[in-house]
Amino acid sequence: MPYHTFKCSECIPDRAMHAVIKGPGEDLTSCLPLGYLNTIPGTISERGCAFCGAKHVIGSPMKDVIHLSHGPVGCTYDTWHTKRYISDNDNFQLKYTAATDMKEKHVVFGAEKMLKQNIIDCFKAFPHIKRMSIYQTCASALIGDDINAVAKKVMDEMPDVDIFVCNAPGFGGPSQSGGHHKINIAWIDQKVGTFEPEIKSKYVINYVGDYNIQGDSEIMIDFFQRMGIQVLSSFTGNGSYDDLRGMHLAHLNVLECARSSEYICNELRKRYGIPRLDIDGFGFEPLSASLMKVAMFFGLEKEAQAIIDDETARWRPELNWYAKRLKGKKICLWPGGSKLWHWAHVIEEEMGVKVVSVYSKFGHQGDFEKGVARCSEGALAIDDPNELEGLEAMEMLQPDCVLTGVRPGEVSKKMRVPYLNIHAYDNGPYKGFEGWVRLARDLYNAIYSPIHQLSGLDISKDEIPTDKGFMTRQMISDVNIIGDGTTPIEERPYTGEWDIVTKLRGKKYPKLESQQQLGMV
Amino acid sequence: MDDVMKDRVEQLADFIMKWCLWQFHSRAWDRERQNEEILTKTMQLLCDEPVNLSTPSDRCYWVDAVYLANGFKKTCPWLGIMDKKDIKLLMQGLKGRIDYLTINGSLNQELTNPIY
Ligand code: SF4
Repeated sequence: MPYHTFKCSECIPDRAMHAVIKGPGEDLTSCLPLGYLNTIPGTISERGCAFCGAKHVIGSPMKDVIHLSHGPVGCTYDTWHTKRYISDNDNFQLKYTAATDMKEKHVVFGAEKMLKQNIIDCFKAFPHIKRMSIYQTCASALIGDDINAVAKKVMDEMPDVDIFVCNAPGFGGPSQSGGHHKINIAWIDQKVGTFEPEIKSKYVINYVGDYNIQGDSEIMIDFFQRMGIQVLSSFTGNGSYDDLRGMHLAHLNVLECARSSEYICNELRKRYGIPRLDIDGFGFEPLSASLMKVAMFFGLEKEAQAIIDDETARWRPELNWYAKRLKGKKICLWPGGSKLWHWAHVIEEEMGVKVVSVYSKFGHQGDFEKGVARCSEGALAIDDPNELEGLEAMEMLQPDCVLTGVRPGEVSKKMRVPYLNIHAYDNGPYKGFEGWVRLARDLYNAIYSPIHQLSGLDISKDEIPTDKGFMTRQMISDVNIIGDGTTPIEERPYTGEWDIVTKLRGKKYPKLESQQQLGMV
Repeated sequence: MDDVMKDRVEQLADFIMKWCLWQFHSRAWDRERQNEEILTKTMQLLCDEPVNLSTPSDRCYWVDAVYLANGFKKTCPWLGIMDKKDIKLLMQGLKGRIDYLTINGSLNQELTNPIY
């Protein structure tokens, strides 16, 4: 068994099977870490809680909803929306979040009355919003407040509002993933089938498991709509509450992040017979294949091919410019969940960087199966690493860049290893063809930033050169690029706009509209 | 199975492991169904046999099968000179190998969890 023991974890024998190195000839029957188990006491895990997974990953991207945590204000404050899941309604759900601010007296005497008043106050404060999600926390779960009953009472008194209750307290699972599960099942049990959105096309999908980080979902939905496909609901990036109540009417569930939302797709298949198609929205080749698969399901191959040809012609040369300069660089791919398998192979294939490690704090063994299957020999896969293990891995692997979230990213910066924020993104969106070039650009900028020339100098002892200036990124990156005229003229750094998402809002889709005019249902 | 066949099965399994996601549904019974449906349809496509597309689920398996058949043809030129009988044997071997990697030999402890 190719298990890897970190020196810093030798004193924690339970960690023994949580890291593996993919050796020659290894496959998934010999090389797979444990995953999604209770946190081992003493490892100082960096996981989030189940409430956080339910509310801040899946619930909160819903845009036309008041999001109310029923619990101490700290649960909401400490995990306040820090992901950039934007929306086309002026980011209502990012700007406002609410908490009932439970105190000791509520723990003793109950908090249902106070919850009811909070719900009413919230609807009064935002009279244009008629939908609400309430999230249970540890405190309100332990005292046994019946949130569903309170919500029902309010809905009876205020017939124009609709309330969803998510009972995923912090302790409801080993990690945030427990919350993903609970909110998926709660949504299909409580809300799917309670609303009938307008069907405007012969081709109808739910786009599931994308949270519109810096516009990712909007980029993908644009492709589908250009083909003439109606995206009935987006689960849940830029998603609308009522559209998501109508998920049962789609013909196909197109699933991106199976980790966070395969549960609802499985249930939709079981209860409504809607097939589940897993896709990869990142990277030119996987994205092209994914668009073509969705198109083939409906017989829209020509439409998909036109998009793939246009986008590839426009963006491939710019991707190539970066790929030439990134070739051979080593990265640690340390995201939350799905990017560890969405990117493990394609970032190597298309940008030439080598993935030397993958990890997830909350992933299940199913995620590691995909990640380990896709990454190359020698890669180190770690389940739920702690900070010391992360440091040891960086020392051992010497990556040129770490792709991760803010907290581990700041640690890697202190090690003088650049990092890219792939949770909230640096300059996303990263989905779509152009988005993939934006990721390459951010990676290039991180690795070749001139700051590394300065940050490595210790002014207390090093000699500071005063006779020459900084080397620019391109001076460093182009040392090995031969300027012999073999570089095609169209290969160049990214030329897209700063904001590529806003212009999609309100865009007209002739193929979709022509079906509406024909009264297609 | 002779060594050539074994090697060919391995090449096809590697392609699936790297470029596909359908084999990694979360439960054993899902994986059994996915492997059976998609690999059967892929075999039918490679052998020019008719493929059942009568239900939405069939169409969904079929799109993954088309991707697979095209990918196999592109990356494994030897497929083009194999006769249909051998392709069927090859695909049978592949089904066994994928079942082993994703179900029977899998270390994933969640496969038998009775609920989603
Ligand atoms: S673990 Fe419990 S108390 Fe802590 S943030 Fe999560 S819900 Fe709140």
